[in-house]
Amino acid sequence: MKKLVIKSAIYFFLILLVLEVIVRIFHLGKDTPARFLDSYEVEKWKPNQNGFSVTGNRRQNFSEYHINSSGYNSYREFTPTKDKIEVALVGDSFIEGFHQDYYNSIGKKIETKIPKIEVYEYGYAGYDFADQLHLVHSYKKQFDLIDHVILGIKFSNDLTRGEYNVMRGRLDLESPINKLLKKSKLLVYCKSIGVLDPPQELIYRIRKTLRPQQKDAAIDKNEALRIQQENEKKYLENFKSLVSKYNYDKKRFTLLLDSRITNSTFLSYLKKNNFTYIDFATSFEASKKSTTLIYDRHWNNHGRNLIAKTIIEHLNTIKMFR
Amino acid sequence: MVFNSLDFFIFLPIVFIIYWFVFYKKVTLQNTFVLVASYIFYGLWDWRFLFLILASTIVDFYVGQAIHNSSSNKGKKVFLWVSIVFNIGLLGFFKYYNFFINSWEDLLAGLGYETHNSWTLQIILPVGISFYTFQTMSYSLDIYYKRLTPTKNFISFAAFVSFFPQLVAGPIERASNLLSQITTKRVFSYDQCTAGLKLILWGLFKKVVIADSIAPIVDDIFLNYNDYSASTLILGVSLFSFQVYGDFSGYSDIAIGTAKLFGIELMSNFKFPTFSRNVAEYWQRWHISLSTWFRHYLYIPLGGSRVSKLKSVRNIIIVFLVSGFWHGANWTFIAWGAIHAVLFIPIFLMGRNRIYMNSVVAENSWFPSLKEIAQILLTFILVTFSRVFFRSQSITDAFGYLKQICTNFSYEAYQHPLGYRMIDYFVLIAIFVLYEFRMRRDERAPFKFKSKIIRFIVYTIIVLCLLLFFDDSIDRSFIYFQF
Repeated sequence: MKKLVIKSAIYFFLILLVLEVIVRIFHLGKDTPARFLDSYEVEKWKPNQNGFSVTGNRRQNFSEYHINSSGYNSYREFTPTKDKIEVALVGDSFIEGFHQDYYNSIGKKIETKIPKIEVYEYGYAGYDFADQLHLVHSYKKQFDLIDHVILGIKFSNDLTRGEYNVMRGRLDLESPINKLLKKSKLLVYCKSIGVLDPPQELIYRIRKTLRPQQKDAAIDKNEALRIQQENEKKYLENFKSLVSKYNYDKKRFTLLLDSRITNSTFLSYLKKNNFTYIDFATSFEASKKSTTLIYDRHWNNHGRNLIAKTIIEHLNTIKMFR
Repeated sequence: MVFNSLDFFIFLPIVFIIYWFVFYKKVTLQNTFVLVASYIFYGLWDWRFLFLILASTIVDFYVGQAIHNSSSNKGKKVFLWVSIVFNIGLLGFFKYYNFFINSWEDLLAGLGYETHNSWTLQIILPVGISFYTFQTMSYSLDIYYKRLTPTKNFISFAAFVSFFPQLVAGPIERASNLLSQITTKRVFSYDQCTAGLKLILWGLFKKVVIADSIAPIVDDIFLNYNDYSASTLILGVSLFSFQVYGDFSGYSDIAIGTAKLFGIELMSNFKFPTFSRNVAEYWQRWHISLSTWFRHYLYIPLGGSRVSKLKSVRNIIIVFLVSGFWHGANWTFIAWGAIHAVLFIPIFLMGRNRIYMNSVVAENSWFPSLKEIAQILLTFILVTFSRVFFRSQSITDAFGYLKQICTNFSYEAYQHPLGYRMIDYFVLIAIFVLYEFRMRRDERAPFKFKSKIIRFIVYTIIVLCLLLFFDDSIDRSFIYFQF
């Protein structure tokens, strides 16, 4: 028995070691840049990092990222001046674009079509509307030099809070233990492909069994509808609160949204109160080709082309960009 | 609890450690613990159906003794029928009741009678019922045919019926093999344990890497067969052949490997059926525990091949139809059995059904001859054709699938439903077939390499493949659990 245990342990350890080497050589696991909270309490990536983002067990999507000195994934530095014409794209992972090569981003596509402008992509996974406006407000001097700001918004996700506060959950990912765990590319790879989901589910199941009072209450359809309606009202109130708190500039700021997944009351409110928005629903709906990646729900190259095209059409309606 | 779940990989080491460190001193302790562990293993799926196993165990335990103790042949027969009626009754109710009712209603409707009241019931099929009922029946039958003396130890017998590695999907063991091991004290063997661990690893590879990875392709093609050309449909059913083989033989390897960890040797269930040179050889290599069950307890009692040719043919047809019906309460399985009967009978009539009994392809050479390659390909094509019925939801679907192959005879490159590269799967299957061909002489030694380094490299590749093809989003249950 002793021999069995010792030999099994040796084999187990050696196999893990070789797998770690293989995962590193073939770059099967994704690189995860470090994040931090700057002096304005804006969460962003630590400047000047490079790496590769990987999706799927067999590297089905592989792309390079570059975090610039401002802490965002972009091929260019953000240096707005009064002389140049600049556009800022602010948003979540869709704008951040780890799923694409950083030199083939939406901003780059826009710049190719309108060479006289510079596009700054302030994308960060998980940024909601409060994060976005807090960023714009915190870097007011910089943003005041930018001629036009486009803010990506998803009604059901991005308006859940009416004021900004630091999201500790994301920053906890930078804890010493997590940092240590991230050093193992094999572990990062296993986590990304779902191998570690069953142990996590098991822990959840055990916790649930130990605390039976935390059972999920069954909600009927009417109750669900009522909750949804309440949430939608709350989201609209949050929007009002945020735009008023951060002095939302209706002339310079434009929202980027998909009307197919946006509440109609909210859309009517935007129209009625002269908030301009770019709606990419029509171009996505008309597309015969898929607009999202196969392996996750982010926009693929075709989707990004459509987004860039829609933004360009919008910019063309503004005098200075023509 | 399924073998490819985290629950099992927590359960197994715990049971293993307790078995060898706490309950190793006496066979009674070993068997009691095996029984408790087996009931927990099964009860975690649905504890209510433990009563069925217990009922089947009690009935056959006492019936076995009654048959043995009965002085008259008539009495023996009566007790045997008690076992048969009880076990077939369980199967009939839980597995076939709705099928018979639906078929009866369809028949009446076909004759023009309208049926207003449906007698079908919402019945859950207890996992493994087809396997453990056949196992307990074989015990009573063996006692009846005087091939076995009944055990007087109920715990041992209950452990034999519910032994968790083979409880839910076989191999369907005979008491002569398993019960005799259970009644003897097991002693820890390093070699047996390592052989078991190797089989578990190989079984996991077959299940996770081969079967589960191609499952979404097969599901997509069979679900949307009307939209696909012949080339895709042929690809779909060919891949299904590998899927069902990887799934079931993978399960069997894990079961045999797990049993080895507890000092028990189960019978082999698969011996590389892919390399069969005719359909008769295929049935000597595919689901061996079931095919030998039917040979011993149905074909031979019917007269086997020792009666006239006509009666032998009748016996073959009965065996294949019953075997098909055993798989599931659907006409598709009966059609599948019938096709195999049709494929088997000419071989039987030509007297070629036993010519490959004790040989393996390319017996004394590295490569098979051209003749053998042609035979293997032909057998694969015929068996794969029958799988259209095995996999289809209904007879209409099966014929629709075949019709689509014939009427839409064109080539079309198939795109994976999730967008993955198809070439990955073709390369994977090609390597798998070549590897199995290399180990074709011994199904119990998947990593037979003299060099430790090569063995280590192969282990690493296997584990790497498990990661590369792992897909948490798909249904990971075993196909044969539904039978």
